[in-house]
Amino acid sequence: MKIKLFGALVASSLLLASPVMAQKKSLVIGMGSADAGKLDPHLASTTPDKGLLNYVFNGLVRIKPGEASPDFIEPDLAESWTSNANGTEWTFKIRAGVQCHHNYGPFTAEDAAFSLKRAATKTTSSYSGDFASVSNVEAVDPTTLKITLKNPVAGFLGYVANINGGNMVCKKAAEEMGENFGKKPIGTGPFEFAEYQPQQYVKLVANKKYFRGAPQLEDITFRYIPADSSRDLAFQSGELDMIYGKQDQSWVDRTSKLPGVKVKAMEPGELSSLYLNIQSKPLDDIRVRQAIAHAIDRKSIVQFKGAGSSREAVSVVPSGYLGTDEKAPLYEFDLAKSKKLLADAGYPNGVTIKTIHTTLTGMQTLIEAVQAQLKKAGITLDIELVEHATYHSQIRKGLSQVVHYQAARFPVADVYLTQFFDSASIVGTPTAVTNFTNCNVADAEIRAARIETDPAKQKALWKTAQEKLVKEVCAVPVYEQLQLWAWKDNLDLGYELHGSLNLSPAITEKTRFTK
Amino acid sequence: MTAFLIRRLGFALITLFAVLTLVFVLVRIVPGDPAQVILGDQASREAIEALRERLGLNLPLHQQYAVFLWGALKGDWGVSMISGRPVIQEVLNVLPWTIELTLLSLVMGIAVGVPLGVAAAVRRNRFTDYAARIGSLLGLSFPPFVSALLLLLAFAIGLRWFPVISGGRGSFDAWYQSITLPAINLGIISAAYITRVTRSAMLEVLQEDYVRTARAKGVPWVVVVWRHALRNALIPVITIIGLYLGILIGNSVLTEIVFSRPGLGKLIIGALNQRDYPMLQGMMVIYTLVVVVVNLATDIAYGIADPRVKFQ
Repeated sequence: MKIKLFGALVASSLLLASPVMAQKKSLVIGMGSADAGKLDPHLASTTPDKGLLNYVFNGLVRIKPGEASPDFIEPDLAESWTSNANGTEWTFKIRAGVQCHHNYGPFTAEDAAFSLKRAATKTTSSYSGDFASVSNVEAVDPTTLKITLKNPVAGFLGYVANINGGNMVCKKAAEEMGENFGKKPIGTGPFEFAEYQPQQYVKLVANKKYFRGAPQLEDITFRYIPADSSRDLAFQSGELDMIYGKQDQSWVDRTSKLPGVKVKAMEPGELSSLYLNIQSKPLDDIRVRQAIAHAIDRKSIVQFKGAGSSREAVSVVPSGYLGTDEKAPLYEFDLAKSKKLLADAGYPNGVTIKTIHTTLTGMQTLIEAVQAQLKKAGITLDIELVEHATYHSQIRKGLSQVVHYQAARFPVADVYLTQFFDSASIVGTPTAVTNFTNCNVADAEIRAARIETDPAKQKALWKTAQEKLVKEVCAVPVYEQLQLWAWKDNLDLGYELHGSLNLSPAITEKTRFTK
Repeated sequence: MTAFLIRRLGFALITLFAVLTLVFVLVRIVPGDPAQVILGDQASREAIEALRERLGLNLPLHQQYAVFLWGALKGDWGVSMISGRPVIQEVLNVLPWTIELTLLSLVMGIAVGVPLGVAAAVRRNRFTDYAARIGSLLGLSFPPFVSALLLLLAFAIGLRWFPVISGGRGSFDAWYQSITLPAINLGIISAAYITRVTRSAMLEVLQEDYVRTARAKGVPWVVVVWRHALRNALIPVITIIGLYLGILIGNSVLTEIVFSRPGLGKLIIGALNQRDYPMLQGMMVIYTLVVVVVNLATDIAYGIADPRVKFQ
């Protein structure tokens, strides 16, 4: 007995004495931008800023880390919620005992109400439009939040999730700092803001009081490295643990070959479509538009872009969204049909159409491939290349007959359909968003679906809308570009990564280095 | 001398004013809307109009200009439309990085370029000359982003002597680690320029009568070259150094980006891409100031190098 005890003592002291491997606790992420923008979640509109802020803020609900679809909505700052039958009154039960960063006190329904009102205000938020249907937000008591809507909103929970306007800021901090909130954002997330070095990095440290438990990592350094090749080299030399990839298949092939590295093409896919202005000649003739649609070979575009990082478009809405018609009746590739349609329309010798296009590399290579494909059908695409901000400004003035646009949106069909195809969104009008086509054929369905409370009927309306838009050839969907990231394989994210709505992988309290 | 300085300062002010006006107009002629950039591509026209109003972009151009000039006179360069931080602060944050890089690479350029240029001229059409000429041609024709990548591949990835991200600060070691490769990268270019100019100036001077006279008197060749000839060949070298400081700042943009160093170059590229009007205006003033000051310094340096130059 004594011997056993002695043995146990020796063994345990040996265990204690054995050198504990120094575990890496600092994560360094390399992002492809030159500097931080506005680090205020309600104003941030760029991928780098949104990705970073995701580590700092929570929503009332969240999309499960690693997923990019509203099917995976789960509790975040709200433990539970209920709504009335037609979805115009929502009551959220706010989690008790959540602390704001940097000792700004507990997070209550009062903060949640303040945050939503802030997100709905034009002067303090880029996302005020998302909350146009909200008529009242009220903190009934410290743990109860009530939201009243003017009309039902498709996928409403998405607007109070941990993205854009749904990010919950702490009232006291936001009021105290006013316009300077972006210099020291205060939220409730697993990491809190520590330091900003211009053009270099933002440093976040672990929020030890995080309500899901203290994070395993001690800090995150979010580095701004705009040159793709420098980011790759710094990743290779071990200075970075995770990098935003060059959005290109050759990058995937090259990076996958490095030892000890994981490369991931994740959701969401950004849908690349050609939007045709149906009021401009010769695109006002549906046969010409059909000829364009028949001339695009989606399969070979995907081969060109790389099968590992891209996939064929399925509809005028990206695949996987709530309400996407995954088998929309897109026109098949058929050069003979295309030429015949052109001839029928009175252009036996072909047509010339024009586009104003950005010099953004990934998009430029695509439009050049499209140009080559159209050429085979006798359609000449004149490309006028301009720099990115100019492109955004000119296409919104209706100056481009064909607009090539690549985008991901909140994954509910309504958002994409409304922004790109509702006639209220036509560029040049006071309510303009990004309807470059002048199409209005699906207005009735889009608007009816927005307030339809029966999910089955809603889906049917969205399906009809997409069929009409495809048939009318308002847009020619081409392919979807996935988001490319790489990280060291000793980094365990703590969840299975399929995607991320803000386009950067989530870093949670469970993320850690295994060695 | 004082009258000269006053006159030059007067010219400098006029130049500055002209540049300010030109920049103010140019950035607004270029298509692209800061409000659009700030709000992102999902923003509705209403939201964009509201922001334009808040930023003062919907005012008539002459009013915007008046606001801008009045601010500039008071020393208020406004606030960056993108980050919301004061322009002056953003510039001052990174200015030391750019100055340090530019000066160090210039010193390297002079340290390498002048002796090499002299040696090439003295040994005209011999091996040293050919080597210097070919070397400097290579240095000139290499785009700085290519040489930067090659340096990184060799010294950061291959030999692992330096980090890829040159952003270290705080200790001498960190500073040395972060400045060396970028300074070499820019130093190559300035060395190449200076070598070529020194060589051709020296060749001309070496054929002068006084050089022959000095040699005939029995002055040692080394003294003839370094004291009699080089001193007289310096004027074009100083000119090119002055001019080159402007070019270096331009080249530092690419160097800063590839070596992930903070600096004015990255700032101005960001401001251009995002149509950050106040930032662009502020940056242009800085650049103009630099060029004006360097030109003035060059003129004064002429007088020091060559007493025959009179300030009038």
